[in-house]
Amino acid sequence: MLLTPNAMGRPLRFGLYATTGVIAAFLLLPILFIVLLSFGSSQWLVFPPPGWTLKWYGQFFSNPEWMDAALASLKVAVLTTVCAVALGLPTAFALVRGRFPGREMLYGLFTLPMIVPLVIIAVAVYALFLKLGYTGTLFAFVVSHVIVALPFTIISIINSLKLFDQSIEDAAVICGASRLQAIFKVTFPAIRPGMIAGGLFAFLVSWDEVVLSVMMASPNLQTLPVKMWTTLRQDLTPVIAVASTLLIGLSLLVMLIAAALRRRNPVSA
Amino acid sequence: MSAVMKDNAPNKTLVSLRNLNKHYGDFAAVDNINLDIQNGEFLTFLGSSGSGKSTTLSMLAGFETPSSGEILVDEQSLVNVPPHKRDIGMVFQRYSLFPHLSVRDNIAFPLAIRKLSASEISKRVDAMLKLVQLEQFAHRRPAQLSGGQQQRVAIARALVYEPRILLMDEPLGALDKKLREDLQDELRQLHRRLGITIVYVTHDQEEAMRLSQRIAIFSHGKIVGLGSGYDLYQNPPNAFVASFLGNSNFFRIKASSNGSGSFEGQPLAIRLTPGLVAGQDALIMVRPEKALALSAEQAAREPLPAGWNEVSAKVSEVLFLGESQTCHVVSAGGTEMTVKALSAAGMPMQPGDTVKVRWAVADACIYTEWAESDLSKAAGAH
Repeated sequence: MLLTPNAMGRPLRFGLYATTGVIAAFLLLPILFIVLLSFGSSQWLVFPPPGWTLKWYGQFFSNPEWMDAALASLKVAVLTTVCAVALGLPTAFALVRGRFPGREMLYGLFTLPMIVPLVIIAVAVYALFLKLGYTGTLFAFVVSHVIVALPFTIISIINSLKLFDQSIEDAAVICGASRLQAIFKVTFPAIRPGMIAGGLFAFLVSWDEVVLSVMMASPNLQTLPVKMWTTLRQDLTPVIAVASTLLIGLSLLVMLIAAALRRRNPVSA
Repeated sequence: MSAVMKDNAPNKTLVSLRNLNKHYGDFAAVDNINLDIQNGEFLTFLGSSGSGKSTTLSMLAGFETPSSGEILVDEQSLVNVPPHKRDIGMVFQRYSLFPHLSVRDNIAFPLAIRKLSASEISKRVDAMLKLVQLEQFAHRRPAQLSGGQQQRVAIARALVYEPRILLMDEPLGALDKKLREDLQDELRQLHRRLGITIVYVTHDQEEAMRLSQRIAIFSHGKIVGLGSGYDLYQNPPNAFVASFLGNSNFFRIKASSNGSGSFEGQPLAIRLTPGLVAGQDALIMVRPEKALALSAEQAAREPLPAGWNEVSAKVSEVLFLGESQTCHVVSAGGTEMTVKALSAAGMPMQPGDTVKVRWAVADACIYTEWAESDLSKAAGAH
């Protein structure tokens, strides 16, 4: 490689580090900023905070509206994860193993939600559920989230399935296992890291999804990002910073789990 | 392993392939194969990639369905039996061990699927671990084993349920030469000890020779040669097998009777060949190590023995290969020949020298029918 850090001159290297640092700061500072504000004593989100307090956390956890939203978010995300993996697994098998015309096109179709602007999907799903009378239900949240989460899950499972040597499954079959037994006893355990990663992706997509959720939400059922959005439009309270911090915290935790899994099983994650 | 040993009458046909075909569209991957595999024999399918050997093995295992034809084991058709009910053992090219299971659990897998009792499983797995000498690795994962150890686990896993037939699909291909030879020796001993029927697939002819009692040579989806390695090498049934196995010199001759002919105008004695008529074109084949190259002085000193032929040629290259030496020569008519001799015998000639190439009539095979493509080494694949 021509441009390894050691091969380039000192000024160039310094410039590279500086640029990287600035970009990292640009990306990370807002997060740090919001986390600090959630512990700040100023009601008007003054920065730097004049003092430190856990008051806003107390308000968050004692307010049933925030708690309901957080619980709804968790429920929707968990259900989305389960559905995305349950649907993504057979889809990935069909796309990797299947020998049928239009397989490539089908793959394109399944990954389309990654490219189509979210707001278009949101409007379409909203129109559909409005007609069917499903808006504001848990079902509507989960279905709409699964639409956008599924491509990530499918791609993750496809990748691990492609890396899996199918002759291992054949070996189980020749050892006496039926094809289905072989898949459950050998293939699933082998691609488990990909399945878990796919599930975590689905969870993350659902957990911080706001565009679809705003459309699906009703006064009785709203997720945490929706509650933040509606609260923000009325007044600026540090409780929003608390909700943001919790949102980021859980996302970070999920990503750490994914990274740990990837390290343990570098081939198939 | 008593169940494997029983019923092991020699020369009893265990597997019969009858008019077996596998077509992919217009393409015949396996083209009307007929083959009887004897109980307890070590048979190798030898051929280049795309010759149909692996497809035939896959049909035996049940992963491919024949387009037509029969596969009989003990006179029972296997064609409609799914692979997991065929009671066949198989060792795959890349070992294909279950990565999430320990060595012990890998070997126990076929028995657990068959719902044997825990004590029976444990007893049989122990016996297998002992057989392949992996007792101290029982608790390791496959990833923590060397290639050779992984292959031994794969063999143990394929033998533990005492199948009637063991299929092996280029199982040693991924290993380096030294280890491969060690495992070949182990495998041969294992076969001798267990008496199980082994069908082995390889593209490596030395491996085929080293391991098998019989070799089936595949080309273009057909079996073009079947017999012991010795017979196939010494008396190839056709020009393709002659050129595919080892090295060979071909001479185009014109027969003048069924015991003589001429090569580039020089008279030659040939083996008595029934059906060969005067004026017919024929091909004779001499193995490089069966031919001698003599310098002009040597030839003058040693008269041509009875039953030998001699042609003149010019040396183009002499190669020293350690144990042996080869001498490439070209005849006046442009026919290239190779003569191989042990280094100890010496080869005093230089490029440009005129030499006499001699061979015994009995050592030269005669073919009256051949295709030009048979004579090139790369033939055999589609």
